[in-house]
Amino acid sequence: MIKKIGRFIIGLKFAIILFILIAIYSIIGTVIPQGATKEFYLHNYESFGNIILLLQFNKVYSSFIYRTLLLLFIVNITGCTIKLLPSQIARLKDDYFPAPGKSAENLWDEKYDTEEFKNILEKKGFKIYKSENGYKAAKNRIGVLGSSITHLGIIIIILGSFIGNLFAYEGYINLLPGESTAFVEQGFILKLDDFYLGFREDGSTEQYYSELKIIEEGKEVEAKKIWVNNPLKYKGINFYQSSFGWVSELTIKDSEGNIIEKASLKNNEYHFYQPKHLTVYLYGYYPDFAIDHEGQPVTITQQKKHPHYAVILYEFNNYVDSFITSPGQPIYYEDLEITFEDSSLYTGLTYRRDFGYYFVLIGCLFMFVGLLLSFYLYPRFVIVGDKTILPVTKQNIWGYTMQLKNLLSSTSKQ
Amino acid sequence: MSLVYFEELFFTLAFIIYIIASIGFFVFLVSSKEKVGKFSVTASTIGFVIHTIAMILRIIESGRLPFSNQFEFANSFTWAIVLCYLVIHYIYKFTAVGGFVMPLAFLMMGYASMLPKTIKPLMPALQSRWLTIHVGTAIISYGSFAVATGLSLMYLINERHKVKDKKISHLPDAEVCDYLSYRVTAFGYLMLTLVIVTGAIWAKKAWSRYWGWDPKETWSLITWIIYSTYLHLRFNRGWKGKTAAWFSIIGFLCVIFTFIGVNVLLPGLHSYR
Repeated sequence: MIKKIGRFIIGLKFAIILFILIAIYSIIGTVIPQGATKEFYLHNYESFGNIILLLQFNKVYSSFIYRTLLLLFIVNITGCTIKLLPSQIARLKDDYFPAPGKSAENLWDEKYDTEEFKNILEKKGFKIYKSENGYKAAKNRIGVLGSSITHLGIIIIILGSFIGNLFAYEGYINLLPGESTAFVEQGFILKLDDFYLGFREDGSTEQYYSELKIIEEGKEVEAKKIWVNNPLKYKGINFYQSSFGWVSELTIKDSEGNIIEKASLKNNEYHFYQPKHLTVYLYGYYPDFAIDHEGQPVTITQQKKHPHYAVILYEFNNYVDSFITSPGQPIYYEDLEITFEDSSLYTGLTYRRDFGYYFVLIGCLFMFVGLLLSFYLYPRFVIVGDKTILPVTKQNIWGYTMQLKNLLSSTSKQ
Repeated sequence: MSLVYFEELFFTLAFIIYIIASIGFFVFLVSSKEKVGKFSVTASTIGFVIHTIAMILRIIESGRLPFSNQFEFANSFTWAIVLCYLVIHYIYKFTAVGGFVMPLAFLMMGYASMLPKTIKPLMPALQSRWLTIHVGTAIISYGSFAVATGLSLMYLINERHKVKDKKISHLPDAEVCDYLSYRVTAFGYLMLTLVIVTGAIWAKKAWSRYWGWDPKETWSLITWIIYSTYLHLRFNRGWKGKTAAWFSIIGFLCVIFTFIGVNVLLPGLHSYR
């Protein structure tokens, strides 16, 4: 009984079942939005929402079920490979010759010269063996390992990425030019010297550039200008250009013109002025302001051609009014003067260290080599005897028979 | 007159010729007139040359390969379908295959013709050498799957007629369709593997992670799993014929969904318009 279950777990049937389950589960993950709040599912899917949460359809790819499926898949593919490997290794040896299949077509015809055929086979890389009443030939014995090498690659990819994710170190930072952030554990400081956009003639953004510096023990050890597709790597951590935004300077003055409050706001951030219970909400900064067909403020380009601010005021959380202003243009509220002066760019950097990637690369290489062996360098055999020429192969008997027919026809005596 | 004008002219010409070739192949399948078959093959070849010229004009005009929005993908995809078909045709000389592949090509081109054709500069994430190899392998892979599906359809029709005892004389043997479909699928699968691997390497460079369960990534994995199942059953269980043919068609539907459906229904990082 246990033996039977064991055989099932490493068998092809179970592999196919897992393939299908993994595929179905993956599809669910693309249909149901991932990683939202519990309320989102209960609200949008009603009674089905509970089922989604129970079966972890809200985080398919990191769910217990998905991981179990992958683990079973690893067990299956490892078991299957270990089971097949000894017989595959035995087939690498010279004394192994498979028996011709029942449907193998006898290519023999008296017009063919079998000796000439032997020479051609030898030239084509076949190894020739003498037999009782003729000869045998074999090529690409190594190809039999194709499936095992592919499987090994897949095992390396799944385990490598899993372990890599366990130890992955990642995060996201916003920096203004001149600012820096410390990576205490690694003992270095990352400094942003400058950040700017590259524009095309039509004003559209071509690229985002962050000029970064690494400082270790007070000394600059590395400097690099990064952009999308061109990260900086230091001590195993990669720094990626991943977003950008504007920071706007807010000033609040009293009736006599004294500055009573200053703040820096990003888009969609607010500043609370306690004495008046006033909230200044910066809806957005638009360097090249326009109104779209839905009446919403938008920016046409990221160049400061026509800068404007969209500002909303709230008092005690009640809406007061909204404004579109240009830089320096004051908004008057009771005896206050509220202005947005100027805006500057900040960069958004993602950083990540993940050694799993190298396992994935090695795994991919194995997988690709394995597939090449399986599909194109599969083992080929010919058995030539008394009035018989039999092609033998497991992978592609039709194509191989055709190749041999072509080779044979060139030995035709007529 | 500008390059754009000629590009559109050649595109339309190629489209019309593909339609003529498809109709020609259909007439050939029904009537078995050898001459009609030959004409259709010649038409496909000429259409392909004109299509290639249209693609080259676009490359000159934009200064890069046409791989950056849905129109350019669909256009390149069509080109690859016809390329794969012609390669198979000139190696194996099965005229009838065209009757099943050229309609796929002209449908894909029809889809392309409905999309906005404007040349836009590459967005920052696409400015990479990996674009060429990632999308290049993708169109070749998808093109081979299209041809494999054509062969599977041909197999199914062939089988049906065999049952009715009136085999269509100019269709290649059912067994040959079956084998050839398998070999072409294997090639497409190898290419699909490369698409996913190059995509992972590129994603690591551009987005910081090699795999992020973006809908396009996930659906390419699902396609890969379906074809893996096909290859395993085929190789180990000797699955052939009807089941294999249906599997190959399901696989291709998956390819089409990954290509069109994901863009329309499941937007993500890969939604380039």
